[in-house]
Amino acid sequence: MRRFVLGEFTEPDACVEAARRLRDGIDDALAIQRSKVPVVALTGGVLGALGGYTLQWYLNSRAYPINVGSRPQHGFWTNIPITFESGVLIAVLSIFFGSIFWFFRLPRTYHPVFESERFRTASLDAFWISAETSDENAVADLERKFREAGAHKVHTVAEAT
Amino acid sequence: MAEAVLDARLLPLPLIEGAQDDGTLNKSLNAYVWQAPQRGWLALLLLGMAGTGVLFSAIALTIAKGIGLWGNNIPVGWAFGIINFVWWIGIGHAGTLISAILLLFQQKWRTSINRFAEAMTLFAVMQAALFPVLHTGRPWFAIYWLFPYPSTNSIWPQFKSPLMWDVFAVSTYFITSLLFWYLGLIPDLAALRDSSTSRRARIGYGIFALGWRGSARHWHHYKIAYLLLAGLATPLVLSVHTIVSWDFALSILPGWHTTIFPPYFVAGAVFSGFAMVLTLLIPARRYMGLKHVVTARHLEAMAKVMLLTGLIVEYGYLMEHFAAWYSGNEYEQHIFFVTRPRGPYAWAYFTQMFCNVVVPQMFWTRWARRNVWTLWIGAVLVNVGMWFERFNIIVTSLHQDFIPSNWAMYYPTWVDLSLLFGTICFFGTLFLIFLKFLPAVATSELKELNHELAHGGGMSELEGARP
Repeated sequence: MRRFVLGEFTEPDACVEAARRLRDGIDDALAIQRSKVPVVALTGGVLGALGGYTLQWYLNSRAYPINVGSRPQHGFWTNIPITFESGVLIAVLSIFFGSIFWFFRLPRTYHPVFESERFRTASLDAFWISAETSDENAVADLERKFREAGAHKVHTVAEAT
Repeated sequence: MAEAVLDARLLPLPLIEGAQDDGTLNKSLNAYVWQAPQRGWLALLLLGMAGTGVLFSAIALTIAKGIGLWGNNIPVGWAFGIINFVWWIGIGHAGTLISAILLLFQQKWRTSINRFAEAMTLFAVMQAALFPVLHTGRPWFAIYWLFPYPSTNSIWPQFKSPLMWDVFAVSTYFITSLLFWYLGLIPDLAALRDSSTSRRARIGYGIFALGWRGSARHWHHYKIAYLLLAGLATPLVLSVHTIVSWDFALSILPGWHTTIFPPYFVAGAVFSGFAMVLTLLIPARRYMGLKHVVTARHLEAMAKVMLLTGLIVEYGYLMEHFAAWYSGNEYEQHIFFVTRPRGPYAWAYFTQMFCNVVVPQMFWTRWARRNVWTLWIGAVLVNVGMWFERFNIIVTSLHQDFIPSNWAMYYPTWVDLSLLFGTICFFGTLFLIFLKFLPAVATSELKELNHELAHGGGMSELEGARP
């Protein structure tokens, strides 16, 4: 069973300082990598723009050509606005759904940290550090380290089975 | 002593009034959600819903009987349907400008009003989208030639038409605004879930918060996603109204066929949008107890944006007239120097000029920018003026075209008026529901701004929260 040791801090700066001090003790998991969201956005945008252009080219010059005063069926300049809009649209959809489903792994109906009723302050006016461990004996040691780092409250929750 | 007085006058007004911390901001900004509905709110909601009933009746009639119920004729084939479309979509632009462009320019004052303005954008675009759809006459057929959808007829849209560009621009704009707004709402929805006292509210807000727990790892991606969405929404602000203006500018009608149209339309959109934000925000900040975060400084900044965009619009007016004169084209000159100022709709032309050119000039004075009454009345007049601007562009240009035997007057019918009135009520209803159930101020962003102001760098003395 996984256990989560949670420490509450009232000030954001204190929380950051504590995380820095605790990192050696816990692990270096919080060393955050550079976000991949821009890569997703760029890929979506380029594919969207290419798709938008191809759609207009195929439909207006291959699938259903409409002759208006002998103007070219494949109109490069008149394709620009929709190419731009479809690029933006697909980039936006990739950023939003990529973030929600892939980067945040949301929506989720349950997370063990919510076992602590006190944790509700996380979205209101407090700052929390969470350390995850499967080793029951490590809990006491972690709790002590959290207190030393200046946590205002320390809670340990167990994942519901 | 004299020095101290001078200092106080030179200091900008505070962005956040009073000594606030995360707890007090959370409580004061979300208080309205947890209160029992006020009587004034209920009364307005009832009025709005009654007006929405009028709207839906007018829509049902239009669909059942056809657009013959509207006042449109030949030559005035485009009338209220397009005037209202352009008016509403223009109003929406302020929301995106505030939420996206001002974010990229790091304008701190945007934080208190961006949620509010974005909601306005969404609801305004919803009203706007109604009109062209109804104007097609048979909306259930419109999908064949508006969206590239594989039907058994094998008929595909004509992508060389600016009207098609409009479909793509407006739908992209709506989807982007909605997702940007929702992404910003997620942390605030989590805060509402966590401060809720009833199980129903906790589940309700919990579903829409998607299980957000404010993890630092999530915030890291979130910030970048939010910034990228802002970056993508920025060109959209410019592109949507540019494309709307091409609906007119790519035709050969005098009064429409002008190269100044794209920038002039974009500036007009922002101008009218800020007017609508002020119209809604001034009463809302009072009745919802938001004066500590939407301060005189915010109102003043918005008045300045209105003055600036108003000047760009006025430059557009000037250039239109100049180009008509300079072109030597008699049809152009007829529209700009005969039909509009001296024709049967001259009253509409002078209403437009008074509201859009004369009224905003009062915002050169600090007094008018800081007085809520002058601000509110000025903003309402600009809304009226911008509606009449579109009326003049569309109706006066069409009603006297190239051949005098074609000329005809246009009069709106009661169905036209009900649709316009109804959309205003529907917009108001959606807005009232938003104000009651969602945080009208981006709480998590404001908490961050408050922290930044309190602990920030060099500018904190000037920008900081002062008691």
